[in-house]
Amino acid sequence: MLRPRLPDNAYLKTASMAAAATTDHPGFLLTYALRLLRVLVLLALWRYVLVDRVNSGPLSLAGVLTYTLIAEVFAEQLNVRTSLNLAFWEGTLVIRFLRPMGLVRQLSAEMVGPWCIDFVLFSLPLLAMAPLLGVDPRPVSPGLGALFVVSLALAILVGLAMELITGAVIVGLDQPVWLIEWIRTAIALLLSGALLPLAYYPWGLGELFAWLPFAAMAWAPLAIYTAAGNPLTLLASQLVWLAVLWPFGVWLWDANREKLVSHGG
Amino acid sequence: MASSTFTPTQLGRLWRLYAGMDLLYIARGPGVAFTYYLAELVIGAAAATATFLLAARFDGIGAWSRPQILFLLGYAMLVRMLVTVFFSYNLAHISRRIGRGQLDHLLIQPQPLWAALVTEGFAPVSGSSMLAPAAFLLIWSGQQLDMTPSAAWWALFVVDVLASVVIVQSFEYAWGSVAFWAPRAAEEINSHSWDMLQTLIPFPLDGLSGLALTSLLTIVPAGLIAWYPTRVLLGVAPVSWVEAAALPAAALLFATFAAWTFTRGLRHYGRTGSSRYLEYGHRR
Repeated sequence: MLRPRLPDNAYLKTASMAAAATTDHPGFLLTYALRLLRVLVLLALWRYVLVDRVNSGPLSLAGVLTYTLIAEVFAEQLNVRTSLNLAFWEGTLVIRFLRPMGLVRQLSAEMVGPWCIDFVLFSLPLLAMAPLLGVDPRPVSPGLGALFVVSLALAILVGLAMELITGAVIVGLDQPVWLIEWIRTAIALLLSGALLPLAYYPWGLGELFAWLPFAAMAWAPLAIYTAAGNPLTLLASQLVWLAVLWPFGVWLWDANREKLVSHGG
Repeated sequence: MASSTFTPTQLGRLWRLYAGMDLLYIARGPGVAFTYYLAELVIGAAAATATFLLAARFDGIGAWSRPQILFLLGYAMLVRMLVTVFFSYNLAHISRRIGRGQLDHLLIQPQPLWAALVTEGFAPVSGSSMLAPAAFLLIWSGQQLDMTPSAAWWALFVVDVLASVVIVQSFEYAWGSVAFWAPRAAEEINSHSWDMLQTLIPFPLDGLSGLALTSLLTIVPAGLIAWYPTRVLLGVAPVSWVEAAALPAAALLFATFAAWTFTRGLRHYGRTGSSRYLEYGHRR
C-alpha cells in the first residue's frame, strides 16, 4: 500500500522535530490559557472603554474587537521568535553551525514547526469561538484579506531580521541573553501595536510609532485586515524596513560571528 | 533540614548578608548595573504602559478616572517590586530551583527551609528599580484624587499590599510544586504562571462577564493583586468591611493551599530526590 510521504527535506524534518518537541512540557497549555484570558480581558476592556465612544477613533468597536482577536490568533507570527536565544543560553549554536544547512533557515524551520501545533491547538479554536465572543473574525473585504496574507509574510521576514540583529547585539555587547530578550519583548509589545492598535495611542504617539520597524511586525498586517490604514503605505513601509534591516542584520551577525565562535558557540 | 527555632535577629542578619551579596553582584561594573537596573525598569513599566495609554487617550477607563487608573498601576508596580526585592534569584520562580536540583542547596543549610526561602532571594539593590516609578504614581495620583488618608486607610493599604504579595507567591509556589513530580517538564512552569499574572494584573476588570471575572479572582488570581484592592482602597465601587477583609482572607487561603501542595511535593521529593544527581544526571 502506498503511504503519503513528506518530501525528504532537511528543513521539513527539522520543523517536524521542533513541532513534536512543543508538547514535551505542560507549559504550552499554560501559555494557551494565558493567551485566552488575555484576549478575553482585552475584548472586555475595549467594550468597556468604547461603549460610549463609538466614533472616537479610526476603527469601530467591531473593528477593534476584530483587531484584538486576530492579533491573538496570529500572535506567534506577529512577534517572531526563533530558538536563537535558547541556543545561546545552552551553548548549542555550534551544533547548528556544523549542520549542512543555512543558519537562518534552520532557525526558521525550528520556528515554523511549533507554529503548526499552535495553529491547530489554539488559533483555529479561537477563530471558531469568535462568534461566541461576539467578534466577527472576517477581514473587511476579501481583497484586504489577501493583502493581509502578503503583509503577514513581510511581517515575519521583518521579525526574523530583528531576531538576527538582537542576537548579534547580545553577542557583540556580551549581555545576558534573557535580559535583552525581556527588554525587547516589553518594548516590542508596546511599539508594534500587537496589544493595542497604534491608532488609539494618545498624543500622536501612534503616528510616530507607525514609522518604526516594530510597527512593520504587527500594526501593518492588522491595520490592513481591519482597514485601519492605507494598505499600500503599510506594505511600502514593510518593504522599506526589509530592505534596511536584512542587509544590516547580516552585516552585524557576520561582524560578531567570530566572537561567538571563539566563545564556543 | 533543620527545624530549630529561628529568631527575627537571625532573619535580619541573613537579609543583611544577602543584601551585601546583591550589591556585589550588581557592582561588578557599570555595564552590568545599568543593564539589570534598566531591564527591570523597562519590563515593569512596559507591563503598565498599555493601560496607561488607554487611560490617557480616553481620560479614564469606564468607571475609573485617569488618576484612579494611575493609582492602580502604581499599586501593581509596588507589588511587583516587592516580589522582586524579596524573592529574586528564582525564589519567585521556585520551579527552576526544584527542577534543576537546586533545592538540595537549601536543604543542606543549617536553617529551616522557610527561612532560606524568605531570605535567599533578597535583592534590595538589583530589584528596586521600580520603587521610584511606583512611588511617583501612587503619590501623584493620590494628590490628583485629593486623598487625605486616615490611619485606618494606611493600615488597610499595608495589609492589602502584603496580601497581594502573598497571593503572587502562593500562586507561584502552587504551580511551582508541580516540578517536584515532573522536574524536567515543569522546570519553567513558573515562567508561564508569572507571565500569566503580570500580563493581566494592570487591567481594570470591571467589564468582564461573571465566569471570566470569577476565574481571574480564583483560578488565576490576577484580579486580586491590583484591581480588587485598588477598588476597595479608592472606593471605586461601594465598599463594605466584608469586601475590605476579603483580600487578606483570600491571601490566607491561597497561602494555605500553596503550603499544602509544596509540602506534599517536598515529601515526594524526600523519597525520590533529584534526577540531576543520579548516575545519568548532569550534576554528577
